[in-house]
Amino acid sequence: MKKHYSMVWLMAILLSFSVLSVHAQEIEIQGTVTSGTDGEGLPGTTVLEKGTTNGTITDLDGKFRLTVAEGATIVVTSVGYKTMEVSASSNMTISLEEDVTKLSEVVVSGLASSVKRSNLANSVASISSKELTSMSNQSTMDGALYGKFKGANIVSNSGAPGGGISMKLRGLTSINGSNEPLYIIDGIYLDNSSISAGLNVVSAAAGGGSQSNQDNPSNRIADIDPEDIESIEILKGASAAAIYGSRASGGVVIITTKRGTEGKTSVTFSQALGVTQILNPLGTRQWDAAKVEAAFGAGEVANFQAAQAAGTLRDYENELYGNKGLLSTSRITATGGTERTSYFLGVTRKDDEGIVKNTGYEKTSIRLNLDQKVADWLTLNASTNYINSSADRGFFNNDNSGTTMGVAFVATPSWAQLLPDANGNYPNNPYAASNFLQTRDLITNNETVNRFLVGGKLTARLLQRNNQSLRLTANGGIDQYTLSTTALFPNSLQFQKNGNGLNGVSVQGTTVTQNSNYSFFLVHDYFLSSGLSFTTQAGLTFIDFDQNNIIATATNMNGSQTNLDQSGSVSVAQNRILQKDRGFFIQEEINLNDMIIGTLGVRGDKSTNNGDVNKLYYYPKGAVAINLHKFGFWNTGFLETTKLRAAYGEAGNFAVFGDKFSALNSINIDGSGGLVIANLRGNDAIGPERQSEFETGLDFSFLGGKIAIDATYYIKKVDDLLLRSQVPSSSGQTTAVVNAATMENKGLEIGLTMNLVNKEDLKWTSTTQFWNNRSKVTRLDIPSYTTGGFADFLGQFRIKEGHSPTEIIGVGDNPDEDGLVVFGDAQPDFQMSFLNSVTYKKLEFMMLWHWKQGGENINLSALLSDLSGTSPDFDKIDLDPEGNLGNGGYRLSQLGANTGPYIENAGYMRMREVALYYTLPNFFGDAVKSIKIGASGNNLINFFEYRSYDPEVSNFGGQGLSTGVEVTPFPSSKRYNFHIIAKF
Amino acid sequence: MKTLKYTFLIMLIGLFSCELDEVQDPNNPSLGQIESNATLSDIQLLVSGTEDLMRSEVGFYYDVLGIIGREYYFFTNSDPRYTGELLGKGEAVLDDAGFYGTRPYAGRYKVIRNANVLLTAVANTNESLTNEQKNGLSGFAKTCQAYSYLLALNMQYENGIRLDVSDPQNLGEFVGYDQALTAIASLLDAAHTELTGAGSEFVFSLSDGFAGFDDPASFAAFNRAIKARVALYQDNKSGALTALGDSFMDMAGDLDMGPEHYYSVAGTDKVNPVFRTPDQSEALVAHPSFVTDIMAGDDRMEKVTMRTSTAVLDGLSGDYDVTIYSSLASYIPIIRNEELILMYAEANIGSNNAEAIAALDVIRTAHGLAAYSGGTTDSEVLTELLYNRRYSLFGEAHRWIDMRRYNMLNTLPIDRTNDDVWSQLPRPVSEVNQ
Repeated sequence: MKKHYSMVWLMAILLSFSVLSVHAQEIEIQGTVTSGTDGEGLPGTTVLEKGTTNGTITDLDGKFRLTVAEGATIVVTSVGYKTMEVSASSNMTISLEEDVTKLSEVVVSGLASSVKRSNLANSVASISSKELTSMSNQSTMDGALYGKFKGANIVSNSGAPGGGISMKLRGLTSINGSNEPLYIIDGIYLDNSSISAGLNVVSAAAGGGSQSNQDNPSNRIADIDPEDIESIEILKGASAAAIYGSRASGGVVIITTKRGTEGKTSVTFSQALGVTQILNPLGTRQWDAAKVEAAFGAGEVANFQAAQAAGTLRDYENELYGNKGLLSTSRITATGGTERTSYFLGVTRKDDEGIVKNTGYEKTSIRLNLDQKVADWLTLNASTNYINSSADRGFFNNDNSGTTMGVAFVATPSWAQLLPDANGNYPNNPYAASNFLQTRDLITNNETVNRFLVGGKLTARLLQRNNQSLRLTANGGIDQYTLSTTALFPNSLQFQKNGNGLNGVSVQGTTVTQNSNYSFFLVHDYFLSSGLSFTTQAGLTFIDFDQNNIIATATNMNGSQTNLDQSGSVSVAQNRILQKDRGFFIQEEINLNDMIIGTLGVRGDKSTNNGDVNKLYYYPKGAVAINLHKFGFWNTGFLETTKLRAAYGEAGNFAVFGDKFSALNSINIDGSGGLVIANLRGNDAIGPERQSEFETGLDFSFLGGKIAIDATYYIKKVDDLLLRSQVPSSSGQTTAVVNAATMENKGLEIGLTMNLVNKEDLKWTSTTQFWNNRSKVTRLDIPSYTTGGFADFLGQFRIKEGHSPTEIIGVGDNPDEDGLVVFGDAQPDFQMSFLNSVTYKKLEFMMLWHWKQGGENINLSALLSDLSGTSPDFDKIDLDPEGNLGNGGYRLSQLGANTGPYIENAGYMRMREVALYYTLPNFFGDAVKSIKIGASGNNLINFFEYRSYDPEVSNFGGQGLSTGVEVTPFPSSKRYNFHIIAKF
Repeated sequence: MKTLKYTFLIMLIGLFSCELDEVQDPNNPSLGQIESNATLSDIQLLVSGTEDLMRSEVGFYYDVLGIIGREYYFFTNSDPRYTGELLGKGEAVLDDAGFYGTRPYAGRYKVIRNANVLLTAVANTNESLTNEQKNGLSGFAKTCQAYSYLLALNMQYENGIRLDVSDPQNLGEFVGYDQALTAIASLLDAAHTELTGAGSEFVFSLSDGFAGFDDPASFAAFNRAIKARVALYQDNKSGALTALGDSFMDMAGDLDMGPEHYYSVAGTDKVNPVFRTPDQSEALVAHPSFVTDIMAGDDRMEKVTMRTSTAVLDGLSGDYDVTIYSSLASYIPIIRNEELILMYAEANIGSNNAEAIAALDVIRTAHGLAAYSGGTTDSEVLTELLYNRRYSLFGEAHRWIDMRRYNMLNTLPIDRTNDDVWSQLPRPVSEVNQ
């Protein structure tokens, strides 16, 4: 070995080497691995000769064949089952026992290595395909994650079809930059941009108190078909995510898709049909003449009474949000393979309607994963995915023009007459700038995505001896998509005709994104006879990102034309983002007989996004896990396993692209172009935000593994937080981005897994999870400031030393030194989830509950409906401490003096998912393997005191820290589905 | 050992095999690039950009000076500060973070910075420019800077302003009012010297707003006009007369002659920020004293238009809208002949009152009034001068400064008990914190 080392890299590149294999007194063994649950063959099980890297994987029927040394011990590992060790014999049947504690599953531990969960020093969450999609029909990938793992605060931005969430893992990790985790699917870095459709030209939302995009675009992670996913691992903080370096501060979500296995082709067809409806209709205010006069003046009373007499008082909530949308998901998968080649094909066609007419989500996803064993020492894997999706998202959220459906709806009383006449002409809405029924029927706000994900992996075993092996992994991925946004506001709309608005608007955007990544790794495994083993890995990573966004806005349209040419005026905006990252990674794992497992590693990253492009930023990590039950002295019959673990790591988060540049902007004067100094002073010393996390935990199981408990405590510190700071305006510039603050997150995560009943006919498994997080700004180099809302008197977030970065402030009595009053915090007190699964003979029942305790929202829908007197709770008296005023009147009486009434508890308890399935007796003979039918539901039961459609809401999408601000969003929905799944 | 050697091998490759090239900003030209190696067309772009910045954020300047100087009100429901803080309503005081002070201030310094970028680009360019061409560019840049310093100083008054801003990372100290005026005057003189050595044509072009003031000689005359204004603020009447002699003052000429800020409704150009559609609820309303104080027959009454209904907001009211501009595309004068003639009159008061009255009569007769027949003492002529400055330069941000210069701020009308007349705007918060 020694004489080879200097040639290793060359060998790897040229792939010109011979495979060395030396074995003595070998025997050939063959056998079948079966599931202890149902006795069926277990495909994809790893069968390994202990203390070596010699092994194989079982085929579709659970069969394997392997040549091992005589007297060897065989280690059999399969995800979801307890690992077994047996002595090798020529013909063997091995039955594996199901493992509800997940201790045997394999979890990523390095960029090119993985480790058994029982040896893991971090709390890495993982979600299996069973938990992800087999319960209920998920609309989008992002929606499938709720409540399924500890340590995340996931908030959906609205109920608009096509998804859109913000996910924060273990608290806030950035104030100015992104808090979203990094997504990697089969080694391909996924872009998760939210790209605005340019609706601001109509809504003018960014013209007022807030400069932010309030278009409510979806996240691009929504494109991934959840049905393709085999498992998801979530690295929640730097202690686990350090291996991903500068991009990993928000955590990393690693997605592995399904792959084929050797054996006869197996085809599965499934169809889900369902219906969606508004989750929490609020009802409308019950009017009488006195209330009408008070809210709208004496002149309106006659209109109200006329409508009352004619029976034309309308329930506009039902008109607008009452659509019962049809849901349909059809899916075919085929999987199979030969000894050398295996494949997985998944095709999904989804067509979901929304709860508002003319909204919906359609998607076609085709995935083909291929695995080819070129030689014993060389394997190629390819993953390809094409996605075409189209989301019609309506027109909601804040505006400054009274035109969004949400804003117009809350301004409109029930006696307004908005329905079209017999000729299809819509009357103008005298109470708002828009007839929202006309808006609903005539506008287009569509996002269409065409996306290719292509990944390839080459694994070459360069060297194989009895006690050591060396393998090379080369990995590459490309994520390429074109997003087309189309926003059409014809000039027949109330707010576009007769001098209102812009006489018709057509906004068409195209975003082309190309994200490519490559990495090369060498992994060396070395076993000593003493039971000590070493895994060494080192490698290089290359990541390139290129996004080009062009939005053309045409106004003053010719008639009903939508083509950009058919307009009086067109303006174009372009924005490009270019980034290149280069990094290296080295890691050493030492395992002493599974008793003590230690890991040390470092990642070095440089990036064109940093001020100094060639400066390497280092992210170290270190971890140790001690399996006490493996030690001789640990002799308690009660405890099955006991593990102590501790881990430390660092990770980074890049500055927003462009923050390092001092630029000149273009202007136009009298037909000539010109250059003017931009407001942002580039910071040429800008570096990434740096997070350091220490976590420690205790895992134990007892009653023969029937009950397992894991507990983790972490302290996460984010240094060099990037903040947008004012610079003296006499410099000609007004802001600069500086590394100027430190923040701390502390949290506790506890899991309890129970497998109390495990009989042939009846099984019950139950998982209960608890997690919380506390954040605090511990250093702030610039004066405290408020951000993330519209104005202090309407509720904002405050960044202040010694305070939570998500605290909600406003005006009120007894203000502090800033003249502000703290009314709450967007961060929940704690969250819990309860997942139960019961199998009785051929019946399966599953249920997932999710409880979020505390956390506040800023509810400005209530403000807007109060101002128009239309709030459903306007006349209810439960807010005024004096008990005199109705809620609407009370809230308005406090406006400007006390922000309190608009800050509401956003806690909830909801049944996220429930499902019941029945496997039919086999009527069909050999043609059909099995048929399963079932019914499922999402968000069917909800408890919350929040006074709007759903406490999960975000007017500003996932940007920065401002989740939980509500301004007339697209309401959330619940879904019912019926399923049939046939296997052939 | 082996492990260590692998590690070193990979580290070496990692460190040396992938140097990254600096990425240029793909969306905008980079400041450093333009400053170090500008082409001739880049230089033209910086000139146009500087002219554009001169007209940017000036709407706030005119409105704030007009409102504090009790020339007009701005009634809007979207911001209570126009009728609150700016008029000192009740206990309200000016806010050092208020947009009405920070934005026009930052806007002036953007002109100064952009002109500095232009000067640096001219100094470093590899294009072959003649000395005359360089003088022309420098004279243009410094004149724009001097005018911008003056506007900033008009707002900040005794707070003083920062003069040395050539190094944005290392800004100079604030200097007081008098010292700042002296520096502005010398900057104008330096620019004037360069403009007189700039040949007959500029190497760059300006917008239609500078029609007639777009070659070195005529631009130098504009420079002298600003110099005259500075001299009067310094109470240097002889200096003012000298400067006026080299300016474009013309007793027989069009009173509106002078360089202007260009505005247009075309595409991405900018619109006149002071113009507001008359007779709306959001309105620029003339202070009621405008109508009560004007002399009979004075055609400067045309600067306001009677509303169909009285505008009322926040305890204030008015029957006339300000209509000095007719549309969103109307140009805004920077300095015009009428002001030059009035400055000539003012500079003569005390030394040659007859000459002052003759100049005032040019203005009076042009506006339909009979020749001046009042007393000829200094104070009587001054009163007549201030009347004419008030009506001739209405809405052009002079009245507040005139009242301050002559210590007469206490004579401005107070509309509500406890309203205040401010003498200056607070130093912007971004300047205070650093």
